[in-house]
Amino acid sequence: MAIPAYGPTAEPLVIGDLVVSYGERLAVNRLSFSVRAGEIYGLLGSNGAGKSSTIKAIVGLVRPSWGRISVFGLDAAHASLPVKQRLGYVPETSLLYEALTPREFLEFVASVRRLDRKAASDRARNYATAFRLAGEMEEPIASLSNGTRQKVLIIAALLHQPPLLVLDEPLNSLDPRSVRIMKDLLARYVTNTGRGVLFSTHTMEVAQQLCHRIGILDRGVLQGEGTLAGLRERAATGDASLEELFLRFTREDEGLDAAVRTLEGG
Amino acid sequence: MPRSERSKGASTSELGWRDAWRLTDVAFLELSLQAIYASKQGNLPPPIPAAQVARQARSRVVQSKAIVATVLALLVAGACLLMRAAPRIVATPFFGVPVSIPVFQAGVLCGLLTLEVAFLWWTGLQVLPTFLASAVLPVLEPLPIDERTLGRVAGLLYLRLFDLPAITVIVVTPLFVALTLGPVYGLAILPGAAAAVSFALALGLLTGRFFVRRVQGSRGGGGHTIVRWAYLVLWVLPAFAMFGLIVVAPGFLALIANTTSAGPTPSNYLLAASFPFSLAALPGAAANGAGVYGLDATGATVLVAASIGYLALAIGATAWLLGAVRRVGLAPPLIPASAPAARYDLVPQTPALAVLTKDLRIASRMPGYAFLVILPILDAAALGLFTFISGPAGSTTTFGLALAAVSTAALLATFFGPAFFATEVIAYSYGRTLPLSDRSILIGKVALVVAIYLVASALVLGLTLFRVFQPVVFVAFIAAELPAVTAASFLELGILFRRAQAKGLPIVNLYSGAWIAVLVSIPGILVAGAPLVAFEAVGGASSTLGFVAMAAFALGELAICAPFALGIGGG
Repeated sequence: MAIPAYGPTAEPLVIGDLVVSYGERLAVNRLSFSVRAGEIYGLLGSNGAGKSSTIKAIVGLVRPSWGRISVFGLDAAHASLPVKQRLGYVPETSLLYEALTPREFLEFVASVRRLDRKAASDRARNYATAFRLAGEMEEPIASLSNGTRQKVLIIAALLHQPPLLVLDEPLNSLDPRSVRIMKDLLARYVTNTGRGVLFSTHTMEVAQQLCHRIGILDRGVLQGEGTLAGLRERAATGDASLEELFLRFTREDEGLDAAVRTLEGG
Repeated sequence: MPRSERSKGASTSELGWRDAWRLTDVAFLELSLQAIYASKQGNLPPPIPAAQVARQARSRVVQSKAIVATVLALLVAGACLLMRAAPRIVATPFFGVPVSIPVFQAGVLCGLLTLEVAFLWWTGLQVLPTFLASAVLPVLEPLPIDERTLGRVAGLLYLRLFDLPAITVIVVTPLFVALTLGPVYGLAILPGAAAAVSFALALGLLTGRFFVRRVQGSRGGGGHTIVRWAYLVLWVLPAFAMFGLIVVAPGFLALIANTTSAGPTPSNYLLAASFPFSLAALPGAAANGAGVYGLDATGATVLVAASIGYLALAIGATAWLLGAVRRVGLAPPLIPASAPAARYDLVPQTPALAVLTKDLRIASRMPGYAFLVILPILDAAALGLFTFISGPAGSTTTFGLALAAVSTAALLATFFGPAFFATEVIAYSYGRTLPLSDRSILIGKVALVVAIYLVASALVLGLTLFRVFQPVVFVAFIAAELPAVTAASFLELGILFRRAQAKGLPIVNLYSGAWIAVLVSIPGILVAGAPLVAFEAVGGASSTLGFVAMAAFALGELAICAPFALGIGGG
């Protein structure tokens, strides 16, 4: 079955004033950003910055305390199933049905997404071949390496060719060949389409190569947003790398040299 | 750290038992957390402070152990009541065989020890996959701790999973027996109780790991699936043995009475040497002499020597256990070397059917979950087989027993209904990111309960076809109960879903409170059982009205429960 149509004018993802808290701990504080059609949006942040909490709120794993999440104009709070139909999600950790094999898992995902048999099988074959998964399709997931599990999750997210991909550290654990495939695939995935990709990472090189726009998140607050050129302009740093920009926006460059010197001293 | 280096350093940095116990404290908290919240499978803990999450996990594990310990204490109490009532019970011969009071008491103690072994063994089989999935031991391995301490920590961790049940068996059994029959009996049953615990825990570890490695490491595909289910049937056997023992108890007593009354024969020596009879007969022999079992001096020697031998074996099993837990906890699943040809053909189904298929596939690799599917079926099969010895073919007793088998299947399938949410616990958060409605999940789960009932009923029908001679009436009974089983499942699962929605909790966290699953089973069993009561009240199988009343009652229940459950919406 084809993915339900989405309005050409609606943006793939709009986040407005999002607040996520765990008990008394505030993980995301009034966060607003959007992912535009044809765009890969990189969400950068240190550990605990709120990237995964934001993504979990988008995919329905965490209930926001406040704010609005809109996917192609649909309110995620009130139309969770239509929103989930338009999403493909790769989690940060390998959240898989360990007792299933990759083929059984993909079959379950294809069923839930009501996919056509031929289209689902062809896509599974193509992606599995590209990621060299042939030997593992009938092994229980519990016995697979982290990298292989990650490939299975990526295939599951792409199986229905969703108009919005939400990827939480998707390149972690992948081998260099698969990283290269993913980068090429994502670049092509959004070109000349209405699709969007939200991509969280703390690997600056990948974000610099891949993302059209970048949001820098620190302690749940968006500290900077824009294209690489725009961020450089805002920080007045000339040709600074994304890593330098990130450290400056998050003020994590403060005391950095002293910390390194302390470590050198043993 | 490489093992060789660790061994070299062991002489200088070896920690003692006290340090091992302290390490176990921390590791056991992590084990409890994983057992209850399965966060390593991607589940989020409830939105409460971390210290409270830890407290909850700890207290829920204690609750689970307390439930097992209570069941064991009840078994002991039941056995003691039987022994107290021995003079009245043995007044009637068993299958025409007169049974003396000491032989009856030894038989009851023998049954009790068997039940204790079977129940603890079965608990071990259920607990071991959680123990392994918690991955507590691999976390400890890289730490600079010597080999011996790591082994002790692993052993103590495993033992702590069973501390309350094991203490109950070792303390309550001698205590209750002493209060019932006298202090000599109480003291003399202590070796039996200790051996029962030791054997059960060792068997749990040995068989549990064997099945986990072969079942969880098994590939996909038809042939592998059949082998997996065959292993899983074996897995359920300890639980089945508990039920079977109760069923065959009168015949077992008659067999013991026959053997002991024959005097000092080779068969009687064999009985005196067998487990657990030797340990169960020890109290009677200590109090009244081995002559009460028809044994001479040689027989008495055999009895005592066998008891000492079993006790030594139990000590050996405990020592093995303490060393083996670490090896077992670190061993990877067995994967066959040769990879099969890749299959990419995906056959999408409707979402509800996909949930059912997924659950069956998960069950085929998860013994703890497969148990829920297999037990009602095996139970019905056992009762069906019992019709072959319950009376002449076509008799009322035989027919009643066949109907009882179907009724039991209905009630058991309903009782386990809420536990089918266990797959949603291990189904992890990923499932909640898919466009899968609560209604589809609910229908898939109800379909599983109904499928178990139908398979069990079909099995009973097949087994009793030539004993009951009334297939049409029998099918009518199965069909009349079917809406009630469906209604009961709808009710139980509907309550669970509604509670999850009201509390804003994912369903996965809901099940982590075991009491909820037990609580919703009560209305479920009432709904499944009410038409059976109506059937009996109106006239049973002798009247057509009984079937009509049953079907009408069941359909009425379905008409109420299904809309209640399906009203949960798409969520």
